[in-house]
Amino acid sequence: GRTNNVVLRHLPPGLFLTLFTEALHPQAPNSTRRHDYCVLGAGPAGLQMGHFLAKSHRDYVILERNSGPGSFFNFYPRHRKLISINKIYTGRQNREFSLRHDWNSLLSDRPDLLFKRISRDFYPDADAYPRYLAMYVKELDLKVRYGVDIGSVRASDPGGSSGRSYVLTDQYGSQYSCGVLLVSTGLWVPQQVPFVGSDLVEGYESISVDPEEYRNQAVLILGKGNSAFETAQSIMGRASRVHLYSPNPVRLAWQTHYVGDLRAVNNEVLDTYQLKSLDGLVEGRLEDIAIVRREGGRRKAKRGQLYLTLTELLNEGARNGSSNVSAQSLPGFHSDNFSLRQPYNRVIRCLGFHFNFSIFDSSACPPRGGGARGRLPGLTAWYEGRGTPNLFVLGAAAHSRDYRRSAGGFIHGFRYTVRAVHKVLEQRYHSSAWPATRLPTSQLLSWILKRVNEASGPYQMFSVLGDIILLHGSHCDYLEEFPIQALPQLVALSGHKVPKRGLLILVMQYGLNLNNTLGPGRAESEWTRAWKSNFLHPVLYYYDALPTDWDMHNRPTGWPLPRPKAVHHMVEDFLTEWDQPISHSQPLRRFLEHCFHTDLRAFFAESCFRFSLTSRNPPLFCRQGYLKRQGIVGNGKLRQHARDAGLMPGHQDSDDLIEDTTVPEYFMGARLLVGSLFFKFSNN
Amino acid sequence: MFGFILGIVLYLLPQRFTAANVPKLQECTQESFSAKLQAGRMSFIYFGRQVSPAIALFLEELERSAEALEDYGISVAKVNCSKADVEKYCASEKVLKKSYLFRGSEVLRSFDIDTVFDVNAIVSHVLFTVLFNEVRSVQIPAELLSIERLAKGKVDVVFGHVQALGLPEHRALMEAAFVYGTKYQFVLTTGGPVLKHLGVEDPSSLQAGLWFLHCKDVSRVSDRCTHTVMRKPLTTLNLHTFLQMMDVPLLTEDAADPAEVDVVYSHLHVPVLFLFAQPHTLALDRTTAESLAWRLRGEVGVVLIHRGGTDATATQKYNAAYKLPEEGATLKYITFNSVEDAVKLFREKTLPEGNRDDDEDEDEWAVLDVLDDEVAESVYRDRGLTLDLEPVAELTGDTFNGAVARRGLTAVLFYVKWDAVSMAVLQSFIEVAEALKDVLDVVLASVDCGEWTDVCSSQQISSYPKVLMYRPGELAQPYRGMLGTDSLHRFILLSHTGNPVLLSCPSEAHTFLQGGVGERCPELRPVRVLGLFGAGQDPGISVFKDAVRALRGEAHFGLFAGGQAEKWAEELSVQLPALLVSRWPGVRSQAHAIRLSSVQELLTLIRRLLLEPFPELTVDNLPWYLEQKKPLLLLFAHDGGAEKADALLEIRGLLEKGQLDAYLPCWIHMGRTPAGRSVLETYLGFLPQLPALVLSQLSTGGEVFHFPTERPLLEGTVLQWLHSVESGMEKSTGVVTDGTWTPAVPFYDFLSIMDEEMPGYASQRDPKTKTTSTKGPEEQDPGSPVNSPSPHRHSEL
Repeated sequence: GRTNNVVLRHLPPGLFLTLFTEALHPQAPNSTRRHDYCVLGAGPAGLQMGHFLAKSHRDYVILERNSGPGSFFNFYPRHRKLISINKIYTGRQNREFSLRHDWNSLLSDRPDLLFKRISRDFYPDADAYPRYLAMYVKELDLKVRYGVDIGSVRASDPGGSSGRSYVLTDQYGSQYSCGVLLVSTGLWVPQQVPFVGSDLVEGYESISVDPEEYRNQAVLILGKGNSAFETAQSIMGRASRVHLYSPNPVRLAWQTHYVGDLRAVNNEVLDTYQLKSLDGLVEGRLEDIAIVRREGGRRKAKRGQLYLTLTELLNEGARNGSSNVSAQSLPGFHSDNFSLRQPYNRVIRCLGFHFNFSIFDSSACPPRGGGARGRLPGLTAWYEGRGTPNLFVLGAAAHSRDYRRSAGGFIHGFRYTVRAVHKVLEQRYHSSAWPATRLPTSQLLSWILKRVNEASGPYQMFSVLGDIILLHGSHCDYLEEFPIQALPQLVALSGHKVPKRGLLILVMQYGLNLNNTLGPGRAESEWTRAWKSNFLHPVLYYYDALPTDWDMHNRPTGWPLPRPKAVHHMVEDFLTEWDQPISHSQPLRRFLEHCFHTDLRAFFAESCFRFSLTSRNPPLFCRQGYLKRQGIVGNGKLRQHARDAGLMPGHQDSDDLIEDTTVPEYFMGARLLVGSLFFKFSNN
Repeated sequence: MFGFILGIVLYLLPQRFTAANVPKLQECTQESFSAKLQAGRMSFIYFGRQVSPAIALFLEELERSAEALEDYGISVAKVNCSKADVEKYCASEKVLKKSYLFRGSEVLRSFDIDTVFDVNAIVSHVLFTVLFNEVRSVQIPAELLSIERLAKGKVDVVFGHVQALGLPEHRALMEAAFVYGTKYQFVLTTGGPVLKHLGVEDPSSLQAGLWFLHCKDVSRVSDRCTHTVMRKPLTTLNLHTFLQMMDVPLLTEDAADPAEVDVVYSHLHVPVLFLFAQPHTLALDRTTAESLAWRLRGEVGVVLIHRGGTDATATQKYNAAYKLPEEGATLKYITFNSVEDAVKLFREKTLPEGNRDDDEDEDEWAVLDVLDDEVAESVYRDRGLTLDLEPVAELTGDTFNGAVARRGLTAVLFYVKWDAVSMAVLQSFIEVAEALKDVLDVVLASVDCGEWTDVCSSQQISSYPKVLMYRPGELAQPYRGMLGTDSLHRFILLSHTGNPVLLSCPSEAHTFLQGGVGERCPELRPVRVLGLFGAGQDPGISVFKDAVRALRGEAHFGLFAGGQAEKWAEELSVQLPALLVSRWPGVRSQAHAIRLSSVQELLTLIRRLLLEPFPELTVDNLPWYLEQKKPLLLLFAHDGGAEKADALLEIRGLLEKGQLDAYLPCWIHMGRTPAGRSVLETYLGFLPQLPALVLSQLSTGGEVFHFPTERPLLEGTVLQWLHSVESGMEKSTGVVTDGTWTPAVPFYDFLSIMDEEMPGYASQRDPKTKTTSTKGPEEQDPGSPVNSPSPHRHSEL
């Protein structure tokens, strides 16, 4: 049953689905439905976008070829353990803060629509995820059409004012005409590398997950990512040898801060390798290898074993797989201690997945992106396909924007980029500007500290999403979570003008990482050396004018943004609590003071009283608080502290305590002068 | 006024230290005492009876001071009250402890003998009193800046710091002020932030110091006065030399041999430095000499010697020479490699302890760790204490909605813990909660927005701290008053009383105005506003009620409507609808006929009526009055005394005659509002006698005028003075600064540090050197290149 099921699921989706969904499909062939927004795929990214579209009452539909949401998770990861953490207890009540440590939930306004309702495991079972998504769809009443398998996407460019739209055709020939196409099809096509003997290799998508089937077998795994290690970890108790082969040395997530690299939860094979327990890791190019089967001379009954060799060692016949492989074709013949000289019972490919470009007509196909070996579509900084206007890519496939740099390929990252894309859509198609909070400048410091201490978007999507603060002088507009690579297009994308006084950008960043991750000196605690912080920490960039594409293109190596007018790093904090007066708050205030060119200190009402009477231009804090009748009086003890610190002048012979409760003499006097009860004022 | 003395003292100065010890302390009889007073001179007189050991010591010091003060034309005397019973002065209980400074028969000041304990203290205090109007005292930078501003282009400023009055340094400074008071503006401080402003890092460790602010040559108001620090100890002689040095040219030039040059510096007993200029580099040499002279200003005289082509003396071999002031010191030739060398030579000679410059670098940024925000610092100083939040209900996401929907009034403070202002207000809030513990139906609660972020965003809180008032079935009312214990307490109590109180008969209305009806807390003495409506004026009543709802907490409101009200109004000859406003129990009310158009208009009207025509300005109410943007006719008064009451009445009189319409007449009670003292000092640069009347053109010209103390403060004189101010006849005594508040401390420039420590790290990439590879750099780990495909080189990691 189990194997059957696997096979069934990997038949072409259309075939599989017709069995179940034909009856449910009411639409007549060749009809056309029109929607302002079509979302392709009901995975986490598609549903996340669905939520935002529903919330803003847009005409949208989510098209899903399977019968339920998140079908990828019905099968992957093969060994059924999600490695996205489900941290339920953070010691805090702040929901926004908690999302920093909840990698599975999608965003919504419902405080209880969280993944922890489905599972309480730190590394949850994969089955829980589709259940969570189904709950999400149901409670938010999202419009998903299941069983619609889009086989082709083409652009329709009638010209004129209507602009480019996309026409989607499903398995029945029904068409969907979409003003905006949001592709959230995920990554599920296994990545393959062509080499001689690749047909002898099993894929991660089809291997048995029963360890007993690997009993006493020697296994070579191609790949050193999480799927490779997950597979190795599952069989290491039964297999005789597990070797992992790929071009690059293993990269550990806890060293690189990139969650796509090998997570510690999957890395048991590193242990058995380093303790010489017959497992091992080897580097080499995949394109040059060949896997050959060599019949074991005497033991004819047994199936031939698999050898790893190099294409250049094979003769013509062997290259075509037609003749038997000679001993000279094997590297061990030439180099007697070659690492992989022993034969394998199985070779397994665990090389990841790529974007399904095949459904896109050339008129609608985004190009292959530069990063990730061309596995992902090339996108603009606002996630629109390059050359495919009105077609956006969301979710894991949008990771080309921040491949190996941030979390955009993962649920806990792309839930925020989806939100950012939605804001771009609202501005572009509905002239609804990017939401902004208007703050008096004297309040900016505490607002930044609030964001720095709770915001989950910039925390998860570090170096990619940043808060933008437009400096208007006495007030600021605060825009959350803008894709900072798109900064040169800020005006068009956000609908906000850039004020003359410039702008600030708040980004979370990891540091230079020059030190040993666990070695001494890995953490910086002196705020004056904050720019050398290795761990995630807030960084503020100040520009007096919007950077251009050219500036962005030539930004300093390793920087998310061009060289600013001034920069401020807030020193990394062991507890990620950036709220201390000396190390965090005051240095930040002085940076803001520099950017605004004004004193941003807070003052007690008494000081504002003095300044207001002796200066025509009291400090901003007094103008925005005290002079608006909202001074900070403070109690006697606090004011005395300020005096002791020399920050407020002392009072000699202060007779604070005298409370004059008598009617002022001049009133009494006046009464004596005017005998009548009422003194009449004329009123104009 | 001191011009005539100047000559005398200058003449006396060198002799003082060698003068024979002739007793100068006279003992007065009753007759000689009166004669003394009538002579009209300054005299410092001690009245005593018995002589205890302590008094004997004081008398010795008094005798020594007699000699010193004589130089300043002040005679010193004692009166033995047992022999000569001078009435008034001998009658006092404290007769043993007091001495007096007289100008003629007028007492300028009395001194406790604990204050004038020795000769230095006597001389310094007496001179300080005499120079009261000439020497200004300051504490905060703004005060000094205001003096600087006035001095620019006019006069140089001598700024002295002493740790306490009465010390020898104070005496030296006062003696110098006496001599140079007409030439320079003297300013005195006994510490405080103003020293930091001048670059002193640790003011508490500084015994004394003197700065010379070169303001006279500053032509533009926006320029700062440069200053020269006096590096020698603050003694009379050093100060004299230093001030003389300030008066001579920065750099003199001569063509003679240095050994023969006679320069002004030689007479001042300071080292003289000769720099030799080459004819072809004269301009450059002069610039170097000038910058060196600036560095050494006040310590060393700098002379630029022009070397002729034919000179064959040492001036060819060396580039400088110097001569120390000591008797018999010879000219020494030397070659400096840098300006630094030259500075070092003299610094090491004059300041043996002085390697201070080296430490400064290390501590440079340690200063940055000192909190300079008064609210942040004061809250930080309490960091060891745990706030007792018990009287305040702490609301959570689960309890919030239930709590604000309950009966009565719930005042909620929204705060964040990292915001010092929030924490300061939280302390006040707890105090209010404590005070209102027993008031029914009032609950004070708080929400920590750092934890309950969605509660705060659902209440649209975008600034901290914020206080909202919740009543069941109503929109939350934001509290827009001062965030302090008293204001908040008052607001909550007032807004909690029946609003408006419904009144049914004239006697009730009358009692209401006098503070009797519906008054839950008469001690608050709120202004009472009574809405008076006739029969059939119901629409007006509802407008009034709406306005009152919006004004809850700001005053006490009553409503009297119907036939009875109409009759009563007729008796009072008030046209209906009307507002009656009463400020003090037992004081007349004002009546205002109103036109009821909109709630907003009525609101504005009532708010205007709540303002007093002649307010006492306090920290709490100032913003209300500043909004009028009128020049302030401001009387500074201290407690009690007939003078204050009289002054208030005079101004009140002018006000009622309608002659002050262009001004906001107001007054500050220095006891209740001690900050008024700093205001007055900033206006005038000193503290005059109280009451003091000042016209502050805060929002108009920025000038400040001081009503002359010697003129009697009467309606007529004040009016006359105001007229002459208006016609430009009066000289302003100060200005209100209009400088902007730029950052007090420079920011820490990470970019420049990056550029220094890691060149190129923060630089834009040069597009020309960029590799043509389309692969992102993130594809490959730069530290671990991909292995070669050769089978022989397959390697384990």
